[in-house]
Amino acid sequence: MAVCIAVIAKENYPLYIRSVPTQGELKFHYTVHTSLDVVEEKISGVGKALADQRELYLGLLYPTEDYKVYGYVTNSKVKFVIVVDSSNASLRDNEIRSMFRKLHNSFTDVMCNPFYNPGDPIQSKSVFFCAHTLSIFYVTIH
Amino acid sequence: MSRQSNRATDSKKMNSELFTLTYGALVTQLCKDYENDEEVNKQLDKMGYNIGVRLIEDFLARSSVGRCHDFRETADVIAKVAFKMYLGITPSVTNWSPAGDEFSLILESNPLVDFVELPDNHNNLVYSSLLCGVLRGALEMVQMAVDVRFAQDTLRGDNVTEIRMKFIKRIEENMPAGDE
Amino acid sequence: MADEALFQFLHSEIIQYINSAETGESENGRCVSKLENMGFRVGQGLIERFTKDTPRFKDELDVMKFICKDFWTSVFKKQIDNLRTNHQGIYVLQDNKFRLLTQLSAGKQYLEHAPKFLAFTCGLVRGALSNLGVKSIVTAEVSVMPACKFQVMIQKI
Repeated sequence: MAVCIAVIAKENYPLYIRSVPTQGELKFHYTVHTSLDVVEEKISGVGKALADQRELYLGLLYPTEDYKVYGYVTNSKVKFVIVVDSSNASLRDNEIRSMFRKLHNSFTDVMCNPFYNPGDPIQSKSVFFCAHTLSIFYVTIH
Repeated sequence: MSRQSNRATDSKKMNSELFTLTYGALVTQLCKDYENDEEVNKQLDKMGYNIGVRLIEDFLARSSVGRCHDFRETADVIAKVAFKMYLGITPSVTNWSPAGDEFSLILESNPLVDFVELPDNHNNLVYSSLLCGVLRGALEMVQMAVDVRFAQDTLRGDNVTEIRMKFIKRIEENMPAGDE
Repeated sequence: MADEALFQFLHSEIIQYINSAETGESENGRCVSKLENMGFRVGQGLIERFTKDTPRFKDELDVMKFICKDFWTSVFKKQIDNLRTNHQGIYVLQDNKFRLLTQLSAGKQYLEHAPKFLAFTCGLVRGALSNLGVKSIVTAEVSVMPACKFQVMIQKI
């Protein structure tokens, strides 16, 4: 299941990071930060065919011993990172995609809140966003 | 799903989003311009009124609705024709007063508040105040003086949005000052 | 379309409000600025919604074409009639029948108010581009009512 969800602004600072309480949060900050380099690589399309470059979903960024890190980038250059516990039953690609879709939809809603100032941290500003991302953490329990 | 139909529905939705987002930008601008929520509410109402007195012409031209004979008919036209036409929703008309001069419009959803979350420092903001002004202005142009206010608001925690409309009096057929 | 009419009424009323709120010498400039900023924020939100399901853009020209076709159609129910560029970061978007100018009469005395009717849309375009990673300055002018041109100057970051 998802253990960490992050939303990163196009200037590469976090707009939102949330992880399951049982795990060390700082560790995930580091994981997310490292993954940004891989995201940049994927976006700039180094060595990849033109067709692949245009998807928003970036797929598996890199695996660690305990986790798998997946990435997604919006057309507005905002990056989403979802860290998944690899010890659980492996998640199918389309399940990960749908987690990102859900995240993207929630994020778009936040962008359309007139009281939200783009670039501000989302953390405490949006009750709905926090609730929706919380549900992503639990969506994969079969 | 064919690309064509996708584009059409997207187009329609997009336009209501344009209105919603523009309205949002207006409200936040007013919040910057005015010290307190009460002032913002008043300004929104006033702007709504200005829109209403012009919107009624547009409405009458598009809908070919005849003259309403009583307040009940007016209520139905507002809910079933006007709201549907401009905002794509059909509120229900309920809670009539015994005298038949006051009723409620219950909106299950309110497109003006899509995506909106009121921050903590705006507890007295009646976000959709523009609607009150629009209704008031429009009805004044058809010789009805009404009082319009929000009785419930989903943005402030209520389950539904309720607009309460009360008939005050019939206006004489002189030309009102201002708009022509 | 009725909902389009509603937006036009709102747009006009917003211009009226900003106009009356700004008094003094630089009134026109501040007016236009405020309207443009409002448009900017709306453009950001709209483009976020609208590009949720589209593939990523190839390049700057791809972005501009999107603005001229898809974006303009969704917002104004028609495409931009003509797009020109000098391939060096300047684009001119021509709309021969700009929806938001139709409320203004064609008389010369109204031309001085035209910039206020274009400001919001300039902001809309600038906001949309900004969120797509393109920094720009957008200005507009009326050629012959109701035709107008939007000029987009790409800023290299």
